[in-house]
Amino acid sequence: MSDAVRRVEALVLGARALADPGTQLGRRARRVLVDSTGLSPEGVELALSRCLETEPSAAEITALVASVRPAPRVHVILPANVFVAAHRAIALALAAAECVHVRPSRREPHFARLLAEAAPGLFELTEKIRAERGDHVWAYGGEASLDAVRAGLPAGVELHARGPGYGIAVIDAARVTPETAALLAADIVPFEQRGCLSPRLVLVVGATDVAERFAWLAAEALAEAGERVPVGRLDDAELADARAFRDAYRYAAVLFSAGPGVVASSATERWGVAPSGRNLVVAACSEPLNLLSQRAPELTTVGVAAAPALRDALRKCLPHARVVPLGTMQRPPFEGPADPRP
Amino acid sequence: MTALALSDALHERVREFARGTTHDDFEALALEIARFQASASPGFARLVASRGGKLERLGDVPGVPAEAFRLTRVAVHPPELDVARFETSGTTGEPGVHAFRTLETYEALALGFGARALLGDRRGPRVVVALAPSPGETPTSSLGFMLALFQRHWDGRSLADGDFTRELAARWLFEPDGLYLDGLEHAANVARRRGEPLVVLATAFALVGLLDALGGRTLPAPGETCVMVTGGFKGRSREVEKSELRRDVARAFGVPETHLVAEYGMTELTSQLYEGTLPGAALSGERDVLVEPPWLRVEPVDPVTLEPVPAGELGIARIVDLGNVDSAVVVQTEDLVRRRGAGIELLGRRPGATARGCSLAVETWLG
Repeated sequence: MSDAVRRVEALVLGARALADPGTQLGRRARRVLVDSTGLSPEGVELALSRCLETEPSAAEITALVASVRPAPRVHVILPANVFVAAHRAIALALAAAECVHVRPSRREPHFARLLAEAAPGLFELTEKIRAERGDHVWAYGGEASLDAVRAGLPAGVELHARGPGYGIAVIDAARVTPETAALLAADIVPFEQRGCLSPRLVLVVGATDVAERFAWLAAEALAEAGERVPVGRLDDAELADARAFRDAYRYAAVLFSAGPGVVASSATERWGVAPSGRNLVVAACSEPLNLLSQRAPELTTVGVAAAPALRDALRKCLPHARVVPLGTMQRPPFEGPADPRP
Repeated sequence: MTALALSDALHERVREFARGTTHDDFEALALEIARFQASASPGFARLVASRGGKLERLGDVPGVPAEAFRLTRVAVHPPELDVARFETSGTTGEPGVHAFRTLETYEALALGFGARALLGDRRGPRVVVALAPSPGETPTSSLGFMLALFQRHWDGRSLADGDFTRELAARWLFEPDGLYLDGLEHAANVARRRGEPLVVLATAFALVGLLDALGGRTLPAPGETCVMVTGGFKGRSREVEKSELRRDVARAFGVPETHLVAEYGMTELTSQLYEGTLPGAALSGERDVLVEPPWLRVEPVDPVTLEPVPAGELGIARIVDLGNVDSAVVVQTEDLVRRRGAGIELLGRRPGATARGCSLAVETWLG
């Protein structure tokens, strides 16, 4: 077993302690993360128990280690939107280097601190990145943040920037069922659509009335999911985005109430994607491959409920996106970056 | 009364309101237009219903989000009656469309208020040119249409004289391949020889192009030159601070900075707002304050609740434009504004939540 594998495994052990509600750290995590993430207690529990990777296989860890190039020292700038993403980000850094410095997000600093406590000595927390020639920096976040990082690095530092993106779902008409809608809701509820894996648009391969039926089913499924996992706290900017979305689509489309959010069924030839919160756009589409190939640079993940032929065609047409079964979009295998785009 | 007849009657009342030849009340007229739109537009009717279904006061009228113009047709009439379709000018994504059944009201309102802001107290014609691309025979840009309108009505004469031969291009002096500096100098010379003011209608990024082309030189412009400035940069030129642009352009034309007048318009609107800084003009106001015409009101509202914000506080612009008879009499924008003096200050666009994270703000898709 290599040192890199040992380091990653040690981190996974730490994550397992946080995921366990029976440990002291696990209890503390549940307490502090509700405040810092804005997720509901049930949302934090869902993220820790279902989205935090605590049982990767040996093959996955080997693949994760193989996915990065060794470096003398790695610095990690963590994102805020999806708190469990810190685990994979730090694992990738540990796979590449023994010496790892991690700058937590200012908005959500707690999960990285908890991981540092759970896996002591594996990495160092820092407030400021001090990269030197030869170091690697892994930075996650929005374009503006990444631009600022890029501008501030000295020469000779290798930057691995993981920028913004989003997920979508593709469903064929034959799978417009309550079960499919429930799988979709399972992909939407974690992290309130804030992350780059979340499906913010559903393309139904079929007629408009079929898409509208799926929109209704999705709204029902989201409302039901909202009973089990209540929506978290949205900030003012998110609430304003949701208001603007709701009003624009109320004018332009059919809107279904989805508990704390809305699902828009767009019968027009134009549509956008939903903002954060429990919101969604469902649109009918006859040629998804052509449409999606135009958007390939933005797409991280495509959740599919369709015949194998369409799934395979999507994989071929979107080689840099993760094409996965619906219901698993928020659980990418622990074998490399969650966002596979180069 | 049929929908068309009702629309015609409302257009006529709006034009009378603008001329000041009616006792119509702004709020009453806006409400009548809103009721007409609720009866003719299912999308607007849904918005009204979601706010309780009443249209008794102006505050009851929901603003149609500007984004709706990107997603669907915002019009009370069928497409076959369109006489113009103006497209929004974003640099990415699909454009929004504002369809017009008649341009009579647009022309009357644009000319009426434009003259108050851009023409000083001197009567008679002036030489009018645009630092903008020619809109062609069928303009798809409301700005291009408006600039052509101003050129036609305030000037409308040939600029050809001496060895100046490019008559067709004489008034449209900023094409994608660059600025036509000779044309602008020629227009300035013509204005001086005729003893008339020069009116230059320009986008901000074209003015940056002009400054770059001049390289510090000045233009032989008459002392009564007025420069209308509209729009931002949208990645099409280097960005220049507003105050720096104003100072440098004034220097280039040899006029005081008060002769530069900012214009604010949106494709989704029929009417425009202006600064009231030009000496001798009918419109008066401070620099950086955009003054509304009497037939348009801007109210800053809270971005979440859409309730009016206290006086002087920042909100997003809810715009009531009586000119939008056949589309949306109230447009809800995401532009940040604050009331100041006789008008509003424009402070950019409300930053969305998605811009700051690893999720992505996405432009409209075309399926």
